[in-house]
Amino acid sequence: MYQSASHSRVFHGHGLVFTFCLLLLSETDSTQAETLPSADQRYKTTNQSEVPDFQRHVVPLLGRLGCNSRNCHGSFQGRGDFRLSLFGYDFGMDHRGLIGDAASTEGRRIEQGNAPNSLILRKPTLQAEHEGGLRFTTDSWEYRLLLRWVNSGARNSPDSQELNRLELFPTEVLFDDQNESTSLQVIAIWKNGDREDVTPLCRFRTNDDSIAEVSKDGVVRSTGSGDTHVIAFYDNGVASVPVLRPFSSSTFQPIRTDSATAPIDRMVAAKLNKLRIPPSEQCSDAEFLRRASIDLTGTLPMPDETRKFLSDPRVDKRSAKIDQLLDRPAYAAWWTNKLCDYTGCNPQQQAELGQELSVQWYMWIFSRLNRNVPYDELVRDIVLAQGRNPEQTFQEYTTETSSYFQKGFESEFAKRKTMPHYWTRRSMQEPERAAEAFAHNFLGVRLQCAQCHKHPFAPWTQKDYQDFGRFFKTVKFGVRPDDREVYRQLAATVGLNVRGDDGAPIRNDALRRLAGGATYPWRELYIGEREQAEKVSLLRSGSVTLEGKADPRQPIMAWMNQPTNPWFARAFVNRVWASYFHQGIVDPPDDLNPANPPSHPQLLDWLATGFVQNDYDMKWLHREIVSSKTYQRSSEPSGPNRFDQKNLSRAVPRRLPAEVVYDGVKQVVGSSQQAEHVREDLTRRATGHLSMRLAGTYAMQIFGKPERAVNCDCERNNHPTLLQSVFLQNDPIIEQRLENSGWLSEIAAAETAGEAPPLQDLIEEAWLRALCRMPNQKEIDRSVTHLDESESLASGLEDLLWALLNTKEFLLIK
Amino acid sequence: MPVSRRRFLKVGAIGSSLTLGDYLRIANAEGQLDNDRSAVLVFLGGGPAHQDTFDMKPNAPSEYRGQFEPIRTSVPGVEICEHLPKLATRANQYAVIRGISHSLADHGLGTRYLMTGNLPTPVVDYPMFGSVVSKEFPTAADLPSFVSIERPVEGPGYLGAEYAPLSTGEKPRFGQPFRVRGITLDGTMTLDRYRRRRQLVDDIDKAFSQYESMDDSVRSLDKFSQQAYQIISSPKARSAFDLSLEADREVERFGRHEFGQSLLLTTRLIESGVRFVTVLLEGWDTHQDNFNQLGRQLLPNLDQSLSAMLDRFGEQGRLDSTAILVTGEFGRTPKVNNNAGRDHWARAMSSLMAGGKIRTGQYIGETDAKAAGPVGSGFTPDDLAASFFQNIGIDPKTEYNANVGRPITLIRDGSPIPELFS
Repeated sequence: MYQSASHSRVFHGHGLVFTFCLLLLSETDSTQAETLPSADQRYKTTNQSEVPDFQRHVVPLLGRLGCNSRNCHGSFQGRGDFRLSLFGYDFGMDHRGLIGDAASTEGRRIEQGNAPNSLILRKPTLQAEHEGGLRFTTDSWEYRLLLRWVNSGARNSPDSQELNRLELFPTEVLFDDQNESTSLQVIAIWKNGDREDVTPLCRFRTNDDSIAEVSKDGVVRSTGSGDTHVIAFYDNGVASVPVLRPFSSSTFQPIRTDSATAPIDRMVAAKLNKLRIPPSEQCSDAEFLRRASIDLTGTLPMPDETRKFLSDPRVDKRSAKIDQLLDRPAYAAWWTNKLCDYTGCNPQQQAELGQELSVQWYMWIFSRLNRNVPYDELVRDIVLAQGRNPEQTFQEYTTETSSYFQKGFESEFAKRKTMPHYWTRRSMQEPERAAEAFAHNFLGVRLQCAQCHKHPFAPWTQKDYQDFGRFFKTVKFGVRPDDREVYRQLAATVGLNVRGDDGAPIRNDALRRLAGGATYPWRELYIGEREQAEKVSLLRSGSVTLEGKADPRQPIMAWMNQPTNPWFARAFVNRVWASYFHQGIVDPPDDLNPANPPSHPQLLDWLATGFVQNDYDMKWLHREIVSSKTYQRSSEPSGPNRFDQKNLSRAVPRRLPAEVVYDGVKQVVGSSQQAEHVREDLTRRATGHLSMRLAGTYAMQIFGKPERAVNCDCERNNHPTLLQSVFLQNDPIIEQRLENSGWLSEIAAAETAGEAPPLQDLIEEAWLRALCRMPNQKEIDRSVTHLDESESLASGLEDLLWALLNTKEFLLIK
Repeated sequence: MPVSRRRFLKVGAIGSSLTLGDYLRIANAEGQLDNDRSAVLVFLGGGPAHQDTFDMKPNAPSEYRGQFEPIRTSVPGVEICEHLPKLATRANQYAVIRGISHSLADHGLGTRYLMTGNLPTPVVDYPMFGSVVSKEFPTAADLPSFVSIERPVEGPGYLGAEYAPLSTGEKPRFGQPFRVRGITLDGTMTLDRYRRRRQLVDDIDKAFSQYESMDDSVRSLDKFSQQAYQIISSPKARSAFDLSLEADREVERFGRHEFGQSLLLTTRLIESGVRFVTVLLEGWDTHQDNFNQLGRQLLPNLDQSLSAMLDRFGEQGRLDSTAILVTGEFGRTPKVNNNAGRDHWARAMSSLMAGGKIRTGQYIGETDAKAAGPVGSGFTPDDLAASFFQNIGIDPKTEYNANVGRPITLIRDGSPIPELFS
């Protein structure tokens, strides 16, 4: 039984279908060798003379039998004094563990002279006591394979052999009926051109056993309607096959697509047709406006905007609205929050002055999104950041850096070409931690697992992990040796205490003097000198020689910027997609690995390719998604699609993000004269410039604004909780907002003056403010009743606003 | 006709419009609550050294046995650490399980394993004990059924966000007022007006009424909103969290320290009717200076506060209805390291159980001479969890229709440890 050891928090199960990065090595098996039949065939009889290979046959067999899994000998403590490398990719260690003096009290694991007496044959056949139970019998091919290997000298494989790729057949399984089944075949293709049927040496896993089960021999059986993937693992190769079974709907009418259909809709429809799931209708104009405003700009539409939009007769008003929303600074503000999520902007982890530096970080990204700087350019100026320009002296650098804290000049930081704070965080000081964060932030890849053992779902080995870490060894934060003298003098003038050579953090007490124009000595981000040249592999995509003072981040950036890079663009488009829907095309969105294939592989490819072809234009990406019929579906089920959570047949309601709740409440209660101002003044919005100032506050915490302390997109938590309801009903903040409501005081004043507007107008206004739609007659009647019974109009309306804020419709994006 | 919970769950699964909120209201109205069940999980986060607490090896070589001496307990032949004198005299009020063994010597994974009783896997997110209890035994609607003191230790997993705990956000501190923000009505808002507001919400919140049961976010939001209302409008919740209502001698009995105050709050919450309390007592990850940390602070504080909790539950006659589990996520290395510390060790650990139907005053299981691993096959976290569920009154083989689309057995691999109940 396969037990996974992912350290990821959640693994919902899909995976990457694109043929893995091994292809980038441009190794081709030019001579198509004949495919060696599978081991169970070859070792069917005792007279097989072929000597099994340790890497190709013995270790995979132990893996398939479960021997090197985490709860058996793959455990870091081993079992019964016998330890194998977890997921079997340390052939030296595994071989040493089996041969030589390594023996338990019960005998030798391998007895050269008397092979059948070897513990590796006696234990799994229960001829000797084995906690792991019976793994195979003495008349099995497994037994014969291992026996033959022991008899032939139990040798390790000659040098390391590299797998080119795995091929899995069929390439798609489409079932009609319950319990229907089919057999998978897996072919391993080695770099030297060898081909072998390795089906009986693979480990198989289903990503959803309510849809398909897979036996250890690779027989897939249908258990329910829907779609999932079955994954095969062999050596460090991973291959997946989609398994689908349509919902049996006799009335199903295929969705028609033609050349006018948007590519997103075409690709989504193709899969819905295959699964026979009818999509929901399109959402209403009011639903669209609220949804798109929140998703694009983190802002609820204002009542006037909604009225205007609803009465606009133009057929293309939705696309006009999308363009309008994308042009608003609020778009840049809201998406800066997301980019701060992806890049890990966290006040607690800054090198110094956490609050100020994280605000600088936010504002630096904001100014770029506001100008729609291409994504790759934005990332390049983070990845290749340095403290100062090559032509600057240390003195000039400190003067410049100090000036960003001078009163009235705070916004100047955003004009810097590069943004060094990404690298100067305390969490980035260890090269391996930096490597993990980098892979997560820009590639959507979780390398962590490979720190201690081969990655269970990806080809990453410990060596890949260590190699990637080596890149970051010379990314330094401190004082360059040449500048130490000047640094010390400057430190002395401002009274900064410095111990050691690497400088000291500037503390909050310096802020006042900085504001007044003082110059402080700042530590800086620079590239140190590599002691000796190193040739390292760049995540299995070719190798790079790192030497001298050359910036090791250059080759990584150049590689990421290649249009063929398998992760850079994909990770971003998938993350953006995931924030418009309740899940990513790959989900979790920050776990691109071949055992987690996308629900819509062509769609992911199309988005990534289109994004690159459009010069990484983020607005292009947003426009494509938001303009699609897929995005504009209603949340109301069509009937048979009520069970569909992953094929985009309807809009699954999502909770408002923390920042939007905060701003939304303010906007709902705000005075009508200042309405536009409240909406547009980014300096007072949690989605805007207050984003980093509010980080970590109570409201942000309970509504799940991410701390950005770990490498996981799951830190932004959009699940409802009891405390959120308690907050909206009874928190002092909500109480204050209602008490100090500008709109309610206007009404109170009008009421006193005997000029209160008609009830219906007020009720409509309340609905438009909170739910961004017109109330229906029932809602109006109920509200009138409440207002009539209230002490005063203003207090009745206060109750009404409170009630609206506490509806599900307010807190959810419908 | 009384509404059976299981029937409701089935109905819910096929998409009836009956919400959990509706169910709770019906269930409460019909007196379906089984008020005789509650449970406490004391989580010793970081992994306490088993050999320096309940599984001492005085005869092991000095680099293994450490610096502490064993003392006798009220159970003949059983000895525990000298820094646990109060618990020693109460050894007949709990059972100790030694030789629990697993292989996840990592805080995250180990915690997940111990808190769910299922080996962590990336494909299924298993629920924490408290979430299962709050699903199985709805509490009075005006109290949270599941409270986590300070923060949650593992979540509701496949049961869904509606079974997540209410976290207090902080720990109670001696001499400082403790309140969970927003859970009680303040001066200006009258109960009557609050009720009218709520009625208004119920009448206008119909946007999802046709398909409320389909999505986790809608369903759980509805449940939480109803429950928040009940909690805020009732004096019960206010009193349950109000430690200032405790007599000074109780405060002193539990101790002024963080452990004491946290367990005092735990006790109070259970007495008020909260079903499940998770209390996180941290500091046990003693890679360095193990003996000073344990001997000077951790053990004396645990000794005092845990004894006080057992005593008070005993005095109130609540021990029989309150299942208690005290555990960390793993044990610590047999050999003391160069920093006078002990590192992570999952092959052996001890846990303590009390209350409910546990046959107390016994020590079950055994480890080898160096406390490195169990003698014989030992117990697994799955067994421990199955035992805890059994003691709470939940069949560990209960199946749930999880959000993964197939029935999942609550505790797949473990079974209750028979000696605990015999």
